[in-house]
Amino acid sequence: MGQFMKRILIAVLLLSTSVGAQQTAVASRTRAAVEFLASDRLEGRDTGSPGERLAGEYIAMQLARAGAKPLPGHRDMFMPFEFTAGTRDGGSNLTIRGAGGASQAFRGGEQVQALSFSDDATISGAVVFAGYGLVVPESQDFGYDSYAGLDVKDKIVLVLHYFPEDTDAKTKATLARYSDLRYKALAARQRGAKGLLLVTGPRSPNAGQTLRMTFDTALSGSGIPAATIGGAVANALFAGAPKTLAAAQEEFDSGNPHVPGFALATSVDLATKVVREKQTGRNVVAYLPADPGARIPDAGRPWVIVGAHYDHLGHGTRGTSLADKTEAGQIHHGADDNASGTAAVLAIAETLARQRMRRNVMFALWSGEEIGLVGSNAFVTSPPVPMTQVAAYLNFDMVGRMQNNRLAADGVASSPAWSRMLERANVAAGFDLATNPDPYQPTDSSNFNQAGLPTLFFTTGSHTDYHRPSDTADKIDYDDLDRIVDFAVAVIQSVANVDMAPEFTKVDPPQTGATLAGVRVTTGTIPDYTTDAKGLMLAGVVGGGPAEKAGLMKGDVIIEIAGQSITNIYDYTFALELLKADTPVKVVFTRNGERREVQLIPAGRR
Amino acid sequence: MKKRILLTAALLAIWSVGASLQTRPTAAAPVANRESDFLTRIRRLTVEGRRAGEGYWAPDGKRLVFQSEREPGNPFYQIYALDLTTGDTKRISPGYGKTTCSFFRPGSDEIEFASTHHDPKSKQYQQEELDFRASGKTRRYSWDYDPEFEIYTYAEKTGKYTRLTNARGYDAEGSYSPDGQWIAFTSMRDAYNRPLSAEEQKQLEVDPSYFAEIYIMRADGSGQRRLTSVPGYDGGPFFSPDGKRIIWRRFDTSGLIANVFTMNPDGSDVRQITDFGAMSWAPYIHPSGQYILFASNKLGFENFEVYLVDIDGKKEPVRVTYADGFDGLPVPSPDGRQVAWTSTRAGGSDGQIFLAQWNHEKALEALRAAPLRVGVR
Repeated sequence: MGQFMKRILIAVLLLSTSVGAQQTAVASRTRAAVEFLASDRLEGRDTGSPGERLAGEYIAMQLARAGAKPLPGHRDMFMPFEFTAGTRDGGSNLTIRGAGGASQAFRGGEQVQALSFSDDATISGAVVFAGYGLVVPESQDFGYDSYAGLDVKDKIVLVLHYFPEDTDAKTKATLARYSDLRYKALAARQRGAKGLLLVTGPRSPNAGQTLRMTFDTALSGSGIPAATIGGAVANALFAGAPKTLAAAQEEFDSGNPHVPGFALATSVDLATKVVREKQTGRNVVAYLPADPGARIPDAGRPWVIVGAHYDHLGHGTRGTSLADKTEAGQIHHGADDNASGTAAVLAIAETLARQRMRRNVMFALWSGEEIGLVGSNAFVTSPPVPMTQVAAYLNFDMVGRMQNNRLAADGVASSPAWSRMLERANVAAGFDLATNPDPYQPTDSSNFNQAGLPTLFFTTGSHTDYHRPSDTADKIDYDDLDRIVDFAVAVIQSVANVDMAPEFTKVDPPQTGATLAGVRVTTGTIPDYTTDAKGLMLAGVVGGGPAEKAGLMKGDVIIEIAGQSITNIYDYTFALELLKADTPVKVVFTRNGERREVQLIPAGRR
Repeated sequence: MKKRILLTAALLAIWSVGASLQTRPTAAAPVANRESDFLTRIRRLTVEGRRAGEGYWAPDGKRLVFQSEREPGNPFYQIYALDLTTGDTKRISPGYGKTTCSFFRPGSDEIEFASTHHDPKSKQYQQEELDFRASGKTRRYSWDYDPEFEIYTYAEKTGKYTRLTNARGYDAEGSYSPDGQWIAFTSMRDAYNRPLSAEEQKQLEVDPSYFAEIYIMRADGSGQRRLTSVPGYDGGPFFSPDGKRIIWRRFDTSGLIANVFTMNPDGSDVRQITDFGAMSWAPYIHPSGQYILFASNKLGFENFEVYLVDIDGKKEPVRVTYADGFDGLPVPSPDGRQVAWTSTRAGGSDGQIFLAQWNHEKALEALRAAPLRVGVR
């Protein structure tokens, strides 16, 4: 820790303690940590930022104060990891060579720009137009392969963005699943293509525009040079072709799987360059050792990991901010997401430090969660303790906004031991526990599930301040957050003291294929993840968004949209793929058990 | 939960009847109450296993005894006691066979329940049910009123089981008088201990619950005596807090309409409490003796809600729960400040036990404000 940093930290600590003492008559065990972590000083704790540094120092200090130690063999509690903080194009360019020998060079973001996952390379080759570049795996028994009958080996493939525009909903739904750009690049690479060019066709939204460089946390490319090109470039590539790009697209838009691609009369020289700005984030990891006199069986796995991410969105400039226009660029305080979980883990450590356990309990505060679970992924990829020695992972993400006494426990199917342990601990805690079997959740616990550990993920669910600057410390329900700490301690003690580690059950991942890649619209809904009510229950609606304009509100359960029935979040994501911006659709929902209908006008998604 | 009512089986088939029930007019617009007026700190109590239900309180309020399917190898309910201080749960019943309807005996270490474990075919039935489930087939759920059901007690100190009934036909749904000296229960023995007419024989095959009547016996099983003699399922009897009345529910012969009744423990002075023209059942008297909690599907054939009605049934019942699916089998704690009930509000079709703080004052207030019931005698 630098001297300067230390001075700031101590000053801030003193400040926040005195303010906290004035505000609270009864000492909360979590309030001070939430208020500090969510304060303006930490500027939203963006991974790799000074605010994240400061948060990490604070967490390490609190863990040390509680009596936790660096892991065996480690000098301190910091475990740095490298990540890609941003990507930009490094001067990609393209030259088209016509049949007659004439050549035409393009550069600049409007004309040619590498895709964020592109390899850096300089290649030359003939160009083959492969329609939408979609390949539906044979296992789906659907029969759509843009490369059928096409020889693209060592060629450069030109494909259309999205999926056929004019076909029926069912075909669209199937094809949309495979329209992710990475998936298209993979398909081209597997057929032997040496490069991929992507154009947004004249009949699609945003026709002829190149794609913005999306934020991609991957540390390296995907094994193929890939670039997006403007409409003029695509037209130039079509010089000498039997039909225009627009005419060719129209044929493919029918969805007919037998429309063939074809070789173009042009060839190209393509140079791609993606500049990936590498930065370092830090996980903070410490542990409380087991009672030295306690012995568990050798197969009992002597560690339990308790974790929460402490990073947030900074000023919301990267990707997943839901700030509206008036809030854009402000500090995203992340009090619930996830100062609340961090504070809970710190308070758990403080409580457990006074108790005896038969297993070592590791406390892991992750960074890099908001940019794709990067911190916990780095941990699981090269774990400081072998995963075979870990009994279970318990995760806390957004636990500060309890409503109706409801606490969700997700991942219960990952071990047969969970339901009994939860039932027992909850008798004293008294939560309306909403258990969800699925361990594949959009939070750090999914990395541990993939690593073969039983996981539990606790959350009080989403709300209208989610991923917005208004997620502030004054909105946290500290009494219930403290109750969650006590409940968690009881569950952790169950795991820490049982002879044999909870057995791991591998749960099949949800078969949906739905990805946000195919979604071109937003409805402004905030799903409630703490209920397994049939349909999509709303935890809220985004202010000024399409759902709010349509009159939808918190507590409504969407059961149908645009004729697609909705039983869960996956169905919903899937249905969104089929919507068009500014085209009204019927939404059927229930409110207080009563069935209602409204018209909703989806808005375009950038 | 199914045996104290024929829950879904027959009912789903006859949706139109249920639908017509919903439109029955009530005396006046109901006072606008919310669930949170009566129930606060609602929480799910049971988590483990496929389903759980029928939680009944120990006289000291520190434990709950209930039925749950939660052990591998037995797809039927077993009886468990949950310690509300420690969270520890222990099985009370032997672990095999079918069981249902447990109750703590006041002033004793005994717990009463109904079981078929003496049936040599018990384990065979378990395997058959498991195999059936493994086959992926589904059937409409129905309680099978196994005629092997007999009433037992389990003495916690000695671990000894004592069989109290010995009559062919379903004997179950037992509950003690407040002094622990009597058990009111349901029996279908009438269908087996006399010659049946051809019509009755057919009825037995279709739905044996038609023959269910309320009985009473001493706590040691002696002096078994029949209290009701009306065709249709009489079941689910409980004593009033002063031990002077028995409350139960009576189905009509169609098995679709049920109402709550009370009577003296000798079977005299029968009074009808509810008249929704729907399925109103699972009544339990609040320890204050002033009102009754019960469940009814008045608002929709599959939508059971908990209601509140004054002890004499003079007022229009007041709705307590507001959740989709099933809310029923409400049982107030001995101090009258909590309620345990069975609900599907956590999702799925299988119930779990929920617990909430009960607002007794608000309940009294709502009853005072409730209008007189139409056609009240």
